[in-house]
Amino acid sequence: MNADDLHVLAGEYVLGTLPAARRAEVEARMSNDAALRTAVEQWQQKLLPLNEVAAPVEPSAALWSRIETSVAAKVAADRGTRPAAARPAVAASGWWNSLRLWRGLAATGFAAAAFMGIVVVGKLAQPPGPGYMVVLVGPQDKSPGWVVQAGTNSQQARLIPLGKVDVPADKSLQFWTKGNDWKGPVSLGLVRPGESKEVPLDKLPPLEPNQLFEITLEPYNGSPLDRPTGPILFIGRAVKII
Amino acid sequence: MPAASSTFDYEAALAACAGGDRAALHRIYQHESRRLLGVALRIVRDRARAEDVLHDAFMNIWTKAASFDATRGEGRGWIHSIVRNQALSAVRSSGREVSADEDAIEAIEAEAVANAAPMAEAFEINADLGRLDECLERLDTPKRNSILLAYVDGCSHGEIAQRLNAPLGSVKAWVRRGLLSLRECMA
Repeated sequence: MNADDLHVLAGEYVLGTLPAARRAEVEARMSNDAALRTAVEQWQQKLLPLNEVAAPVEPSAALWSRIETSVAAKVAADRGTRPAAARPAVAASGWWNSLRLWRGLAATGFAAAAFMGIVVVGKLAQPPGPGYMVVLVGPQDKSPGWVVQAGTNSQQARLIPLGKVDVPADKSLQFWTKGNDWKGPVSLGLVRPGESKEVPLDKLPPLEPNQLFEITLEPYNGSPLDRPTGPILFIGRAVKII
Repeated sequence: MPAASSTFDYEAALAACAGGDRAALHRIYQHESRRLLGVALRIVRDRARAEDVLHDAFMNIWTKAASFDATRGEGRGWIHSIVRNQALSAVRSSGREVSADEDAIEAIEAEAVANAAPMAEAFEINADLGRLDECLERLDTPKRNSILLAYVDGCSHGEIAQRLNAPLGSVKAWVRRGLLSLRECMA
């Protein structure tokens, strides 16, 4: 390729006139062809003033929160590859696979569950009877924040707050669950701080021992994805009660 | 906005992004998103798609910030290139250029031969483009139109041929010669 051809190829890449396959080719070549890469960078600099020709357009208010949410999910996913001790909170993606978290909770969370079982039963309008109970605790300090109770074959569960949580005005709490063999968590809807909620379970497989439940902090009106994107505030596993 | 843009330290903001500072990404967004959305919208021509492009571009800026090399160019240019790349990939991979099919091009070519009136300027540029402005001035109208339609509106060769009502072969030649003249003029 002569010098003119190189500069025309780089120039057409920057202009955008190359078809998709040729674009991909240039991008692949740039990583090990310093001359082509330099030529592309020169065109980018030379033609940059043309970006002033387009009139500025105000983005919608939702765009930044979308970007922010995606970046938070990316950061959480990247942190998921580091040791748990280095994390400020449990990574939102992959928490359901976090052995370490569950070992920690097995030691303290279940003890809390047993303890809370005694305390909470007194507060409930009806004794829970046979079925399941989950105590949702903070992943860091293991302090209990919510209780979930459901009958053995119940079509719904009840989520009961044990205290008030401060939620920023632009955020929402979202409730999730995941059975042992499920591919990922399923949303059980939004939750208001300090308010009980009846959660229908009729669309889900029957409750099972050790099923996971958690509440995450999500953008206002909930996660834009089919999985949590924000930090976990409370988490727990279902235990069978007699 | 221009005053804020000229004093904003893009390189420092990118370095902070590379260090995991999400507030720095927000600062870039606050300073540049209106311009960037304008650039993307001209290319993809759909508001929702343009916002998708900007979303993906900001994710790229965040993940690639560590690879930004200030010795190879300015931060602002780097950011703009990421957005244009994202927008161009979106329109090229969606096959928008297919709209200029062979029949249409042949019809245009036949018409163009019959209709050899001087070409009008496709753009009226009000921004101050510095040296680039002078060099664009030196191009003849078809070459200038071809370069501007490609860069600003993200047109493929086929789309430029339609917009200028000119044969596809001529457009390809105008783009090539236009680029070589610009390069010589700006050297």
